[in-house]
Amino acid sequence: MKLTSVQSDAIQELGNIGAAHAATTLSQMLGSTVEMSVPAIKAIDISELGNYMGEESAAMVAFELQGEIPHGGYIIFYISRESAIRLTNTMLGLTDMNRTMNEMDESALLEVGNIMVSAFLDATAELLGFIMLPSPPALSLDMAHATMSSLIAQMSEEVDDVLLFSTELVCEEHKIDSDIIMLPEPSTLARIVELMENMMKSI
Amino acid sequence: MPDSHSKNEQTAMIGIGEYRVGSFPMMTIGLGSCIGLTLYDDSLKVGAMVHIMLPESAGRNDRPGKYADTAVPTIIKELNAMGCKNRSLVAKMAGGAAMFEYFGANLNIGERNAIKVRALLEEHHIHVAREDVGGKCGRSVTFLPANSGKFSIRRADGTTAEL
Repeated sequence: MKLTSVQSDAIQELGNIGAAHAATTLSQMLGSTVEMSVPAIKAIDISELGNYMGEESAAMVAFELQGEIPHGGYIIFYISRESAIRLTNTMLGLTDMNRTMNEMDESALLEVGNIMVSAFLDATAELLGFIMLPSPPALSLDMAHATMSSLIAQMSEEVDDVLLFSTELVCEEHKIDSDIIMLPEPSTLARIVELMENMMKSI
Repeated sequence: MPDSHSKNEQTAMIGIGEYRVGSFPMMTIGLGSCIGLTLYDDSLKVGAMVHIMLPESAGRNDRPGKYADTAVPTIIKELNAMGCKNRSLVAKMAGGAAMFEYFGANLNIGERNAIKVRALLEEHHIHVAREDVGGKCGRSVTFLPANSGKFSIRRADGTTAEL
């Protein structure tokens, strides 16, 4: 769906609020400051996904959006492989950057993803009065494009373009760079936009 | 003049749902549950590459490369138009992985894609020479029709293979 600039602003605001809560939880877990970017909204034709996510190795913790809409799309905690190692090293008190990732790293990443995405969705639910719950998380440590395209393939509504809306969360002290990416089904997106528009009218 | 444009030629990047036909180098990156399929005719040194996302088009025909059931006939038709006979076409494919072990509806899209592609090729009497399909690892593929149809895979774990 094409968004007007008002709708796009509304979604951006929603992302802002969600990401601010997620950033706070990450900051608490790391015990240092986390900065967040202005949420970016991109409508991407699936054939051009490779321009945004390529062969780079990344950890992605994916959740299906559930709740009032049973299959609402996906929300993903994305972190590059190097940042993922820095993150789990910080959490586990390790320093070796060249080690291979093990089960400890995987559960740490699942846990961080879970906490951050839950904080994000709590905040948006409160704002919208529309509950989106995260499914249990699933982790993939692989080429970013391979993971993302597989999620798009299993969306229940047939799509030729996707609306990615992502907010970057950066911890300068530990050089950790991560993203929260939302990949809503078109009908979920329409519902969110409608709720945001109603809210802005009533202000 | 099959060699006139093989030097310094840019590699064509095949995105999701796209296909190309010719003798220039082609590449598709980050195959997860998607399938990277190539057909190659050694006598003419031409081939086709397609990045298939889903098994069934359910009647949609605006993006033939996206679905196995439209992609396979489309590239065969284009190769036939360039003078390739089905019996001289050789198929290779990679992808069809399951990136998440336990997740969501667990639709097994990768496996269904691979099954559909094999069945369609068989219908058209095209031999699948080699495949690197399944597992849970992402793959990128480079295809060089001008170089005997060389099909190279790079997997997410850093290993490489040639089919």
